[in-house]
Amino acid sequence: MKRVDWRWVLTGGALVLALSAPLLLSGYPYWLHVAIVAYFYAILASSWSLLAGYAGQFSFAHMAFMAIGAYGSGLMGKYWGTTPLTGIVLSTLLAGLVGLVIGVLCLRLKGAYLALFTIAFSEVLRLTLNAELDITGGPNGLDLAPLLNTTSRVPYYYLMLALLLASLGFMYWLAGSRFGLFFRSIREDEEAAAAMGVHIVRYKVAAFVITAMIAGLAGGVEAHYIGLITPNILILGQMSIVIAMAVIGGIESLIGAAIGAILIQFSLELLRELGNWRLVAFGLLLMLTLRFARNGLIYPLIERLVLYQARRAVIEGREQKAKQVGEGA
Amino acid sequence: MVEINLSFLLRLLADGLLIGFIYALMAMGLTLIFSVLRVVSFAHGEHYMIGGFAAYYLLETFTGLHPLVAILLAGSVTFAIGAVFERIFLRPLAEEKVERPGEYAILVTFGLGFFLQYLTLALIGPHPKKAARYFDLPAFELGPIKATAATLKLGTIPLSATRLTAAVIAVVLMLIMLYLIHHTWLGRGLRAVSQDKQAAAVVGINPLRMSTLAFGMGTMLAGMSGAALVPAFAWVPAVGAPAAVKSYVIIVLGGMGSIPGAMLGGLIIGVVEALGTGLLPDPNRAFAYRDAYGMLIFALVLLLRPRGLFGRQE
Amino acid sequence: MMELEVRDVHLHFGGIRALNGVSFSVRGPELIGLIGPNGAGKTTLTNVISGVYKPSQGAVYLNGERISGLPPYQIARRGVGRTFQVTRAFRRMTVLENMLVPAMALHPAGRRQEFVDRAHEILRFLTMDHLALEYARSLSGGQQKLLELGRLLMLDPDLIILDEPFAGVHPKLRETIWEFITTVHQQGKAFIIISHDMETIFTLSQRLLVLNFGQLIADGPPEQVKDDPAVIEAYLGKEE
Repeated sequence: MKRVDWRWVLTGGALVLALSAPLLLSGYPYWLHVAIVAYFYAILASSWSLLAGYAGQFSFAHMAFMAIGAYGSGLMGKYWGTTPLTGIVLSTLLAGLVGLVIGVLCLRLKGAYLALFTIAFSEVLRLTLNAELDITGGPNGLDLAPLLNTTSRVPYYYLMLALLLASLGFMYWLAGSRFGLFFRSIREDEEAAAAMGVHIVRYKVAAFVITAMIAGLAGGVEAHYIGLITPNILILGQMSIVIAMAVIGGIESLIGAAIGAILIQFSLELLRELGNWRLVAFGLLLMLTLRFARNGLIYPLIERLVLYQARRAVIEGREQKAKQVGEGA
Repeated sequence: MVEINLSFLLRLLADGLLIGFIYALMAMGLTLIFSVLRVVSFAHGEHYMIGGFAAYYLLETFTGLHPLVAILLAGSVTFAIGAVFERIFLRPLAEEKVERPGEYAILVTFGLGFFLQYLTLALIGPHPKKAARYFDLPAFELGPIKATAATLKLGTIPLSATRLTAAVIAVVLMLIMLYLIHHTWLGRGLRAVSQDKQAAAVVGINPLRMSTLAFGMGTMLAGMSGAALVPAFAWVPAVGAPAAVKSYVIIVLGGMGSIPGAMLGGLIIGVVEALGTGLLPDPNRAFAYRDAYGMLIFALVLLLRPRGLFGRQE
Repeated sequence: MMELEVRDVHLHFGGIRALNGVSFSVRGPELIGLIGPNGAGKTTLTNVISGVYKPSQGAVYLNGERISGLPPYQIARRGVGRTFQVTRAFRRMTVLENMLVPAMALHPAGRRQEFVDRAHEILRFLTMDHLALEYARSLSGGQQKLLELGRLLMLDPDLIILDEPFAGVHPKLRETIWEFITTVHQQGKAFIIISHDMETIFTLSQRLLVLNFGQLIADGPPEQVKDDPAVIEAYLGKEE
């Protein structure tokens, strides 16, 4: 008897929902906008969880890389006349380059030192963007040309959704490859990993470069969608939100972090009347999740589902084999 | 190009030193927490912020209240918040029941900061509050020293009464802390636990209680720093973040866990900021970049000599 | 044939001289015990060889190449494997994943299935194959120790450094570890084993290095070292 594979059912259902959202929300363009922003945060949260939850690098520079993608493209458009597409591609590469530098600088930094250094980098970037009024527009921000030639939000929705699915797909592939194995070994025990021959430098830096580029790409696309980028996106509070989304979703699960981000973004919008109290609740939820549910709230649900299936498959496989051996004897 | 003359330089130095004392006090709290719990509290700025608001509201509500008492009470408020937080959220660390304690500490204190900031924002709103000056200086003249209610003038160097008061309070508090740590049983307990938890436990010191105390004292010092400075700056819930970042810079510069390092580091950062700001030609950008000088020092220290001036070599 | 040369290695920590001019060579598959009183510098010496510390003076050569100063993972890739005093398996990875890490680290081009097969082979040798998909943290202490040894085999080093492999281990497991060492040694690998278990290390080793206060005070076969007055003095103090 074929068992229902819930993984496929749920994934399929979610995809159908996501793809048909513009239809379902056709009377509510604002909610389509919320979805676009939610996908944006989902990309940030899941890429951060790759860097922190997989590779163990608890960097607070993630929003900075996102901002490099956004400001980079905006400034290139302003001064070099690049199209948004060109700008986004180039600024993504730029984010990767900066990620390389930061990654190298962070090689000998661990734990709190790494966190503090990346905070410092993010703050310096923010201060500079605020200060250089003539170039960046300072606190009022920088205008960006629209990416797509359309007045509707629907194309942007599908673009952001596609970007989310593509980055999740890429990161999952990475996580299943030797990259994922080495990342996790570095997080578990860097010294032991080194003793086992893992090229620590290469993989730590790679983690930074890859996640910086993903963040930069997301930043570039989002900025060209909204049309404006300000240094406010770099305040620590914004980074905290991304971190909180990843933690509540499940810091060791890319899809947990992504789903966490989407759910939280929608909840924050739904509870808009509560004003700042939403974030108070959010902060409390973050602390309680860390204290009592360290694997996050979303991930354990997924784990129960996915791993349960995987374990069942292995056990059934073994039972089959045992049966065959028994019959052969 | 700004004319760099001695008087201008001295003025910058004086400003920097005064604010440096407050930075030092706040950093002392942070380094105390680190030395006993091995944790960098990422919520330190929020305790500074809450201390400021607590003092402001106490003085608004109880009109006869003496400012020094308000500062003490503000410190008690932040002490309580810190102690309760430690007890609930950091106790598992002290009991060594947490996997990857470093990560946990960073994230959970970060969460606390986030929570406190938005709680304050929700309760008080975004409009800045400014407390009235705590003490008016008695007007007098003594040779080159002239004093009015708001300013003390040493020759041509003006020192704001508010900052002067804050600096004096900071120095007094630091001296009290030093006495506490080196000449009392409590201080000895804290130092013992910071050196070796198990050895301390064996001689009858309760490391769990010391952890709670240390965290509470650390947050108390941050709160009192804020309470001392609330007449000097427009106070908003976001005021904690830049202050916190300065504390991090200072404890890394001074050496994590080193109290003399925190004090010296505070002064250095205060002076560097003041000099840096004064020496940049464009006043607008100079002010915007004020925090950047500390960051630069910070980055250099982390990369070249992570243990700072007086820190232990790990 | 593998050759390790430790040449006049000194190591200072602040004011402490942890290693004070240690020199010796290992040629081919020797089975060497590294002993000495507590604090003599045994783990420090292995940390220098495996690259965790850089010597303040002197150098370490592997097959003619100077390895002191290289990062630990480069030294591991050149054929020096080690364990730590406290078991350090990758706790939240499965036993199989633990085994795969060194294999995939060393062989960028190899096929995963080959490594998986090899891992299972080694796990069977260690009678742990049924635990392949378990997370390392759910293993018992003894099983984790065996996992560490299995991981070493996946690294396929020429020189294996074991730090207190018999510490706190019950007799049955000690037997398994002993067998592991002797079998792998016969396959042509060199061992440097730190141990306080005198009986075991005396019987197991072909050669003993005795360290005291950061200095090598004896180097020879166990029967000879056993009666060396300097060694006796180091452990028991001067005879009155």
